[in-house]
Amino acid sequence: MGLINKKESLSSSSTKPCAQLRAAYHDCFNRWYSEKFVKGQWDKEECVSEWNKYRACLSRHLEDKHLSRFLEAEASIYHSDKKDSSGFN
Amino acid sequence: MVKAYAQEHIYKHPWEIVTSASWRKFTDQETKPTLSHILSVDTLNRNLDTQAGKLYTTRAITVNAPGPWFIRKIIGQNICHCVESTVVDARSKSMQLITRNVSLRKYIEVEEKSWYDPHPENPESWTVCKQETSIKIKPFTALASMAEKVEQKCADRFLQNSVKGREVMERICKYLESEHSGISI
Repeated sequence: MGLINKKESLSSSSTKPCAQLRAAYHDCFNRWYSEKFVKGQWDKEECVSEWNKYRACLSRHLEDKHLSRFLEAEASIYHSDKKDSSGFN
Repeated sequence: MVKAYAQEHIYKHPWEIVTSASWRKFTDQETKPTLSHILSVDTLNRNLDTQAGKLYTTRAITVNAPGPWFIRKIIGQNICHCVESTVVDARSKSMQLITRNVSLRKYIEVEEKSWYDPHPENPESWTVCKQETSIKIKPFTALASMAEKVEQKCADRFLQNSVKGREVMERICKYLESEHSGISI
């Protein structure tokens, strides 16, 4: 019991306020992945509103230096890499 | 000091199901008691190439730091962040995952690469998972002599967890398959 509580408090990382938005996004993603993406319907990005809400929450709460640094680095890689039309982000 | 492992496992489920299970492995509610070392999983980035049918995803996985209490005491934290980069090519049916720790790299570097591909002899219904793991503990002066023991412990823990991981994968595959057959009726 004590151990579980201890773990629980450790896991209360900075992104905990995003837990609901995270679950909503992951549920949507999982459904899209198994019902569409692997079946050849990859022409359209889905779960966009779930993603935007979750992502906005993450960027507010991701306090861990390692991860937020990574988040920025990754974003700039994708940004400069992106050849397709969605160039506004 | 580096320890490297290679593993191969055949899932008797189709690639579509196994890779779906792989996404759900750490986020599924029922999984939590089994993979209790996983504290949280966040998706940091996603990018879909709608032309090629390729999906690029980056996730942050927070785990309980490996090693005994005295290591934790020195490192000063109990958790470790890993970053998992995944590429799924739906057209050619391949999935590749690379997971690395981003914190504690001063002390330890773990890299795990996994590939999920249709089994060459039974591509419609079986999936091969290949995994390569390297664990490198950096010897730091005060603990150099203990580092090897820690490395071994870390490796043992890793192997235990990978068995647990496969059990979880099997359970999710079966669940997804029953869900599928339910829909088709």
